[in-house]
Formats: sequence, structure tokens, C-alpha cells
Amino acid sequence: MEITMSGIAKAFGTNQVLRDVDICLKAGRVHALMGENGAGKSTLMNILVGIHKADAGTIAIDGRETTFHSAREAELNGVAFIHQELNIWPNLTLLENLYLMRPKKTRFGMIDKEAMLKEATKMCEDMHIELPLQKEAGECSVGQQQMTEILRILMLDAKVVIMDEPTAALTERETETLFTMMKKLKERGVAIVYISHRMEEVFSECDDITVMRDGHSIITCPIGDISVDEVVKAMVGRSIDEFYPERTTIPGDTVLSVENLSPIGHFEPISFNLRKGEILGVSGLMGAGRTEIMRAIFGVDAHNGGTITLHGKELHLKKPEDAIKAGIAFITEDRKAEGLILDFSIASNITLPNLGHLCPSNIMHREKMLSFSQDLSDRLGVKTQSVHLPVSSLSGGNQQKVVIAKWIGLSPSIIIMDEPTRGIDIGAKRDIYDLMNELTNQGVSIIMVSSELPEILGMSDRVMVIHEGGVAGILNRADATAESIMTLATGGQ
Amino acid sequence: MNTNVTAFIKKMGPLIGLILLFIIISSLNSSFLEFSNLKNLLRQVSINAIIAFGMTFVILTGGIDLSVGSMLALASALMADFIVGGMDPIAAIFAAGGIGIILGGINGLVIAYGKVAPFIATLATMTIYRGATLVFTDGNPISGLTQSEAFHSFGQGNLLGLPVPAITMFVSFLILWFILQKTSLGRRTYAVGGSEKVSFIAGININRIKIFAYALTGFLSALAGAIITSRLNSAQPTAGMGYELDAIAAVVLGGTSLAGGKGHIVGTLIGALIIGTLNNGLNILDVSSFYQQVVKGIVILLAVLADRKKA
Amino acid sequence: MKKLFTLLAVALAIVVMVAGCGSNSNSGNAEKKGGTIGLSISTLNNPFFVSIKKGVEDEAAKLGMKVKIVDAQNDPAKQANDISDLLEGGVSLLIVNPVDSAAISTSVEAANKKNIPVITLDRSTDKGTVVAHIASDNVKGGEMAADLIVKKLGEKAKVAELEGIPGASATRERGEGFHKVADQKLTVLTKQSADFDRTKGLNVASNMLQANPDIQAIFAQNDEMALGAIQAAKSAGKTIFIVGFDGTEDGQKAVQDGALGATIAQQPELMGKIAVDTASKVLKGEKVDAKIPVDLKVVTK
Repeated sequence: MEITMSGIAKAFGTNQVLRDVDICLKAGRVHALMGENGAGKSTLMNILVGIHKADAGTIAIDGRETTFHSAREAELNGVAFIHQELNIWPNLTLLENLYLMRPKKTRFGMIDKEAMLKEATKMCEDMHIELPLQKEAGECSVGQQQMTEILRILMLDAKVVIMDEPTAALTERETETLFTMMKKLKERGVAIVYISHRMEEVFSECDDITVMRDGHSIITCPIGDISVDEVVKAMVGRSIDEFYPERTTIPGDTVLSVENLSPIGHFEPISFNLRKGEILGVSGLMGAGRTEIMRAIFGVDAHNGGTITLHGKELHLKKPEDAIKAGIAFITEDRKAEGLILDFSIASNITLPNLGHLCPSNIMHREKMLSFSQDLSDRLGVKTQSVHLPVSSLSGGNQQKVVIAKWIGLSPSIIIMDEPTRGIDIGAKRDIYDLMNELTNQGVSIIMVSSELPEILGMSDRVMVIHEGGVAGILNRADATAESIMTLATGGQ
Repeated sequence: MNTNVTAFIKKMGPLIGLILLFIIISSLNSSFLEFSNLKNLLRQVSINAIIAFGMTFVILTGGIDLSVGSMLALASALMADFIVGGMDPIAAIFAAGGIGIILGGINGLVIAYGKVAPFIATLATMTIYRGATLVFTDGNPISGLTQSEAFHSFGQGNLLGLPVPAITMFVSFLILWFILQKTSLGRRTYAVGGSEKVSFIAGININRIKIFAYALTGFLSALAGAIITSRLNSAQPTAGMGYELDAIAAVVLGGTSLAGGKGHIVGTLIGALIIGTLNNGLNILDVSSFYQQVVKGIVILLAVLADRKKA
Repeated sequence: MKKLFTLLAVALAIVVMVAGCGSNSNSGNAEKKGGTIGLSISTLNNPFFVSIKKGVEDEAAKLGMKVKIVDAQNDPAKQANDISDLLEGGVSLLIVNPVDSAAISTSVEAANKKNIPVITLDRSTDKGTVVAHIASDNVKGGEMAADLIVKKLGEKAKVAELEGIPGASATRERGEGFHKVADQKLTVLTKQSADFDRTKGLNVASNMLQANPDIQAIFAQNDEMALGAIQAAKSAGKTIFIVGFDGTEDGQKAVQDGALGATIAQQPELMGKIAVDTASKVLKGEKVDAKIPVDLKVVTK
């Protein structure tokens, strides 16, 4: 199947998102779609699968002009979109998710679980993947959920598969599995659209590339004809000499020490300390328990004992409220479910944890709150017309900036950042790295949990590696390499 | 269409509906718009409106309170008993308010700390409080309360040409509007309904917000109960049955989302006025009581549909 | 936006339509003759009160009077609202069938203040002035029911009592009359409320029969509950002498079939008719009796 989209234009209200975009997808090839958030990648793909309607332009499948009217119709015609927000029902098992729309039935019209299990198991074997098919999806890792979604689409005999940031939430190992799957898809003649911000992946896995900026397609060519620098330049309209800013802060004395903390679940007692102005990277495989440890420190989840000492004073943190009072902030991994109230305005989200110090008498001062959120929004460089707009109107990177803004507003001495740059574009990433440097220069200490090794290596003063619920080791910047981290993360010595 | 205009109309939707309703009813019967009838209308609306104000807070936190009618009855019965027992009637009204706070507070505690779904928790307390009212009153109304002029005027009297219950309603409205729009407590109420997880991590004491909302609703239900008791000069064991539905209808008509986090107390006031206007107007137009229920249902349905269409 | 307005337009059309076709007014030239009567009725969810309403409507049509009818749905607060609406709407006489005697007082006093004469129907008011009170004697009816059971089954017969909505005046009065006799001459094994409701009557009576298999008779404070009790007795395979109250159509039919032992019949249509006749007299300035009893009759096969 070959799909040609030409002259596509789309506006939401007065906001022109796409202008005259051309792209051609060929069978058996992986086509990278790159661009900063807000460049129009997702909108373009949503138009292809019928979620949005183009204002102008045509879509031709094998030369015939076609328009899908819904994502379901597109899927049934072999064009499937795997969104970043997976289409998974968390309270159903992976198997039930796989067969939700087209269950197998026995002669008597009953659901035939045996047959479905047999078929799904066979598919997993073919793809060389292992999935706990009978486990509830909500209890499975993001990687496992994503595999399930890909399997589901394969069962529909998809011809074109669009993947939006598929590796953003995956561990290295899961990423490898995904690439193996993609190769198998290519062999079957499937065309893949691969939306990603990760340069290495794009250059190792893709055949063609289209770079978008501000609703235009800037470059379309085979991957061999272009260099990383050219792609970056096309994306941001300027070249980035060095991606990670230089760390200039010299860490001071220990400010936070965690001793024998036991989060609920399968954990060994956790001990580590954090120095003034330091960035402590926390690495590990997905499911190793990094997030759980951070949640226990912040008081989101209860723990079974251990001591947390901040500035020489022992803390008893039972709930986030206590942690915030102690001067700790927590930028959560899942910004949509835990970081932002999507219906609230940017200003309301920023002021939310700050209500206590902004209105000591409980009366809200409109001007004071507005200037507070406006200042933070400007400082973080949130791209928006007004702080009164709902955060749901922002792109992922800008939403993340709002999450950071609301916590910076508390002037915390410790910031825990869980996957601070997940799913956001290069420009926004760089802004966040710069901010981290600025904060540490001012004496703030940062704990940064990340699944991206380059980020860990580029930003951390020390790296704590978590393996199966315990601290496998803490590496100094000089000793931290991709190899040394992965060795610890996988349980090696 | 210009987004500002659309947003404006969306916000004004319930008000436009109310005005249209006024125009239609008054064109069919001119006595509707007479000042004495408008006073009459306000007096009638006040009880449902006061309860619905509390319900707005509860619904904004993403909850629901089915026990308002039962709290109203129990607080009224206890208040009437205090008065018969010789307590100063005005002091008894305050006592009723205190009882309402306790009853509503119990709802809040069960929901916040017991982690019971609000629907279930208040369904249970609705039955418990109603049963307690019947036990306490032995099923009989409590009458022969007092000759106190001050107490009578609480439900029946006029002040500055306006019915006292209507004044109570407007004063409560202003205070509650201020809390909801101008204080951090109000903002946190919205936040809890918008997302409990986000609010919890942002350091908001969710349990305290919930208990506040339910206790407030208890207080307002008791206040409405005091008005009814004064108005009927007796406390009825069956008072307030089905009032939770009228209150919820007023909140929904006012555009507040049952999912929580979105809505406005101004809308609730207008919603209560719409329901009251329908009750009063259809009576004045001499529409059969059977049809009245059909019309009320249709109006609620259309209002909600119109809200969906605009979204 | 267009859709919103269409929806509103439809809503208006419905309101206007209903206002037209659903209107209670039954004679166009009524205003000239007798003036308008307001009728505030406690509930129309019960055939008894529907019959009262019918009696009022029929008689008013005959006399060429206009009636405005409002239904309080058993809520005393709604009744207060209804009556203030009627007073605003300019009725010249008020017939009130109170939900509750204590709660209606303030409304009656409000009418008194406006010099609008009030007639109470079926239930009385604790305070305020009425020109006439028209009612069956519920206490008397309760006594009649007990006497009937004594006559049929002899003294010390074992009986159960199905009570109405707790706190309702009919519940109190019928129970009071019944116990006046029964406490002396019968053995009341159990009494429970079934809210004047047929289904609840069935359930409660079934439970009673389960707990007290030697029940010989049941007094139900209305026919609906009595009809439920008949079903309960049937499924328990027992022959029980059941006495109902009200004499509704269903009740009388059950008596004819022999399923119901007896019912203490009120005559709701007659009550309605008498109310309108009395109203007409009052409006013409004639004198009427302050208490107008409407006969109860024992209906047996």
C-alpha cells in the first residue's frame, strides 16, 4: 500500500496548524516524522486516520483518493494509529484488550477464551515477545501495554502503522523488542510512520524522514541523504552545538539523607544522600521501583519505616502536604493524571500548590496571583497567548513547563523530577536542562529519575542505579558510562 | 462565531432560559409578573436554592449528597423539639444549624476517611437520618411551637419589602459565592473535583475539603429546614422527601458538571429560579399537575442537551 | 448556537402547548358566574383523592364554576407554595385537602388575611378559620372496623394491623379509633407500617403471617394495603378476615368477589360534590354548617 498526502492544510480556530504539507508513505519502509511539539505531526497523522478533517488537500491510497471518517474505519482498512496515550482498558486483561472489538465465540455464542488465548500465545511466540496475557492491563508495564496494542493492530492485518513516540515509556530492553517487531512488520510489507524525538533511533531504524516545523514539511528524503545536524537545524530553525548544557555547579554539603527507607512492595531498604546544588540521576530498568521510591519519599504512598533527614532535621512525611511544607517538590511522571488539572487554566494550575503562601488569609488576590503565574510562565517560556487558557490547549512540552512552574513557585530546596522530559521536543528539553542548571546554581538540589541514558549521563553529578527494588550502586560522574549503568541496572557487578 | 461571544452565551445560557421562561409565562398570564407574585416566587425558590448551594459544593468536589432531605427533616424535628422544650426560637435555629453541620460532617467523614462512594454513603445516611427522625418524632409532626414573631418571620415574614427566606437565600448566596470564587478554599474545592490525584500531590488536604463541603451542605439543609418549620409552624417527620432531586436538578440546570471540578454557584441560583418559576408559573397558568411534572422533566432534559450541544 | 435556539424554541412550544391542552379550565364563561375556586389536594397518586377531585370537577362543571387544581404530592411545603400561588392567581374561595393538619395552619391563616374563605376537606387544620370542614370521621371508621371484626370472629380474636404512612393524619386517626375498641375486645398481635402501598402491604402482611401464623384477621388502614394483604394470605394458604378502609373501586370489587371481608367505605366523590355545593353557597352568601360529616358505610358482600 502506498499513501500520498498532498497539500494538506488544517486550522483550529485562528490557529493554522498545517499549511500545504506533502508526505508519501511506502510499503515495507519505516518513515520517520520529526519536529518539535506543536509542529503538526500528530495533527497530520490524525487527519490521515480520520480523527480530524483536513481543510484542504488530498489523501490518495494506491492512487485512489480516499478519506476516512473515523479511526475505526481507518483501522478496518489497514491504517492504524498507536497513540502515546494507549488505547487500553486498564481493568481488562491484556487478552481481553486484544479481542475487545472482535471476540472469538464458541458455537453457542459464548466468548471462547481458550481459542483466543491459543491464538494470542502463538502470535507472541512468532514475534518473540513475552506477555502476561491474563494479567489486568492496569497492572502491566507501559511497554507490555504497548506490545498488546501493536499485536491487536497486527491481528487486523494492518498495512500502515503509525507510532507516536513509541519508545518514550520503554526500557532499553523493551525498546530492542519493539525494533525487532518493527523489522518483522517491514518484512510483511507494512509501512510504518515513526514519530520520535530520539535522533539515534531515527537514524538506526528508519528508511525515510520528513521533518516538520510550524505546520510545514521542511525536508522529505531518504535517511541516508541527511545528517543529524541537518535534521536538528531543520527542526528548530537553528543549530544546536551542544545538546546538554555544561554542569557548572559544584555540589556542597549533604542536605538530604534517606536511610533505610522501605517503600511498600518488594523493596530492600533504600539509603542515599543528596548534596546542595547537586543533580542526582536515578536510573534503572522500567519496573525496578524508581518511581515508587520517590513517591514514598514525597509521602504520596505510605512506607514501612526508615528516616528522611533534611538540613539535619528528621522529617515525618505522611502526605505530600508535609513534604511541601518541608521544602520538597515532586514533578510526577504522569503529567496528565498527576501533574495537571487539564480543565483548569495555566494560571490556576501554577497557583494550585502555592495557594498556601499566596493567600495566607485564604482570600485570593487576583492581581497577585496573576502576576505570580505570569512571571513563572514567562520564566519557563510557556508558549501561550494567555495564562487564562486551559492547560489542555498546550502541547506536551509546554504542559510540562507548567508542571515545573507550579513547583518552582514554591521555591523548594529539593526537587524530585520523575521523567522530566518525557515526550517533549528538543527545544523544550533544552529549556528544562538550562533551568535545572540555573536552579542548582542557586543551591537547589535535584533528584532526576530518567529512562533516557543520554539525559542521565549528560545532566547528573552522580547516578544512583536501582535494580529490583534496591540500590544497585551510586556512580560518580566520572565513573558513569552507559555500560557501567546498564551493568548495575541489569543486576551485574 | 467569535469564541468570546460563544463563551459568553455558554455562560449566560441558563439565564437566557430563565428570561425566556419569564417572557412566555407572563405573556400567557399577566398576574405572573405582579410584584406580589415575584415575592411569592422568591419565597418558594429559597428553600430549594439554599439546599442546592450546598449541593453545588459537594458536586464540585465530584461527590453527591442524597441525604439533604433527611438532614432537613431531622434538624427541623430537633429544632422544633428544642422550641417546644422552651429554648429561645432564634437560639434553636442556630442549634439546628449546628446539628446540620454534625450530620453533614458525618457524611463527610464517612466519605473522606471511610473511602465510601458518596452516592452509597449518603444513600445510607439518607435512610438513617430519616429513620432517626421518625423514631424521634414517633411519626408525628411537632406543632404548637411558639408565638415568637421573630421566629415566624424567619419563614413567613418580610424585611424591606422582601420575603425573609429570600433574603436568607441571597445572603447565603453572596457568602458562598465569595468563598467559591475569592478564597483558596473555593479554589481547592474546584481542584479536588478536577483531579483528586493532582490535588493530593499538590499538597491539598482532600479530606478536609470534602468534609467541609458535606458539612456545609448539612448546615444549609438545616437552614432550609428551619425556614420550612417556621413557614409551616410545625416540623414534619416526612419533610424534605425527594428534595435531593430538586437540588441536583438546580445544580445541573445551572451548568455544573456532575463529574466535578466545573461549574458555578450563580448557575445554581438560576437553576433553582428556573425550577421555581416552572412550579409557580405552571400553577398560575392552571396547568394540570400531571402535565407539570412532564414539563419539568422536559425542561431539565432540554437544558442539559443544549449544554452538550454548545460544548 | 443555532441548535441551542432550536432546542429552546421547541421547549417553549411544548410549554405553550401544554399550557393550552393541559389546562384544567373546563368552561370558558365560568368567570362571569361563580368566580374561581382553588382546590389544593394532598396527592393524586392515590385513587381516593383522584375520586375527590373528580367529584369536585363534575359538580363544578354542573354549576358552571371554574376550578383551579394543584397537587401537593404529599409534601406540606409544596402545598404551602401551591396555596400561595392560588391566592396570587386570584381565587375567590379555597378548598383545601391538607397534607398535614399542623403544617396547613399558616396557609389557612394567609387566606384568612386575604379574606378568602377556606373549606377543609378530609383533613382539618389546627389553626386559622374555616367556613366549613367536610370529612368522613376517620376515628369513627376505625372503631367501625374493629366492631366488625368482633362481630365476625368474636371477642379476643387475634388481629394484625397494617398502618399507613407514619405520621400521616389518616394513620393516626384510623389507628386511634381502631385501638379504642380493639385494645378492649381484640388481641392485637402485631402492627406495622406499609405506607398505604399495595406492594408494601403484601410484603409486610407476608412477614406478619410468617411470624404469627395464628392471625385471624387483618385491619388495613386503606384498601390498597388490604389488597396486598389478600395476596399475602393467599400465598400463605390461609383464610383470613381482612378489613380495608376507603372503599375504592378495587376494594369494593374485592368485597364483591369475597376476597376482602369488608371495607369501611368513604365516599370521596360525594365529599368532592358536597365541597363544591358548600362553596357555591358560601359565595352566594348563604350560611353553611361548620362541620359537615360525610357518611361512612360498611361495605360487605
